Amino acid sequence: MSRQLFMDRLRAGLRGLPPGAIDEIAADYETHFADGAAAGRSEAEVAAALGDPDRLARELRAEAGLRRWEAERNPSAAAGAVFAVLGLGAIDILVLLPILLSIGGTLFGFFIAAVACLGAGGVVFAAGPFVVHGAPIAAVMLTGLGLMAGAASVASLTAVITIGCVNALVWYGRLHMRLLKPALEA
Amino acid sequence: MVEAVQVQLKKGVLELCVLALLSGADAYGYEIASRLAQGIEMGEGTIYPLMRRMQADGLVDTYLVESATGPSRKYYRLTAAGRASFTAQKAEWLAFSGAVNAILGATS
Repeated sequence: MSRQLFMDRLRAGLRGLPPGAIDEIAADYETHFADGAAAGRSEAEVAAALGDPDRLARELRAEAGLRRWEAERNPSAAAGAVFAVLGLGAIDILVLLPILLSIGGTLFGFFIAAVACLGAGGVVFAAGPFVVHGAPIAAVMLTGLGLMAGAASVASLTAVITIGCVNALVWYGRLHMRLLKPALEA
Repeated sequence: MVEAVQVQLKKGVLELCVLALLSGADAYGYEIASRLAQGIEMGEGTIYPLMRRMQADGLVDTYLVESATGPSRKYYRLTAAGRASFTAQKAEWLAFSGAVNAILGATS
C-alpha cells in the first residue's frame, strides 16, 4: 500500500472527529512515513508495519466516543458511545445487538410512560379540583402530586439503569479494542 | 478467548514499555515505534493511539524540535505523573513476573 492510499483510508475512517484531531493524527502518521523513508524503508514496508488503517481509524474514533461519554454524561454522549462500540464491528457485539435493542426499547418505553404519567399527574393536580365534584380538593391535588412523584422516580430509575447499561457496553467494547486502553485495569 | 487475553496482556505491557523507554530519554514517535514493535509484535501504528491516550491521561507531554530535514519533530517526555506511574507499574510487573517465573521454574 502506498503512503497516499494509507493516509486516504485513515482520513476517511476518522471522519466525524473534530478536524483538529484528524489533522493531528494524520500528521503523526505522515511524519512516520517521512522517518521511515529517511531510514531507507519503502512506503509499502512502512505501511505494512503500521497495520490496517481502517482498523486504526475505527479504534481511534471509538476511543474518542468512549472518552466523551466518560467526560460528559448526557444522552448525546451516550448515543455516541453506543455507536462507537457498535462501530468496532466485532462479531460478538453484533450478536448482542438484538438483546441491546430490546433492553434499549424497554428502557425507552419506561421513560415514555414516566413522561406521560408526569403529564397526567400535572393535569390532575391543576385541573382536577375544577372538574371532580364530591371529593375534597386537597385529596384530588394530592393524587396529582403523587402521580408526578411516582413518574419522577420511575424516570430517574430508568436513567440510572440506562447509564449502567451504557457503562457495561463501554467496558465490553474496550475488551474488543486491540490497541487502546486495557479494559481490565487496576 | 486466548487471543483476547493475549491482546489485553500486550496492551498493558506496551504502556509499561513506553514508560520505560521514555524514562531513559525523550523520544519521537518513529523511534518509540521501531524500538518496541520488533520486541512485542504489535503493529507500529498502534504506538500513536497509545501515545494519544497516554497524553490524554497526563502521563506524557510533547514538545516540538526543529529538524534540519523536513518538518519539526514531536518529542514525547514523561510528566511527573508518568514517572510515578512507571515506578508503580514496574514494581508490580517485577513482582508478578517473578512469581510466575518461580512457578514455571518449579514445574519444569
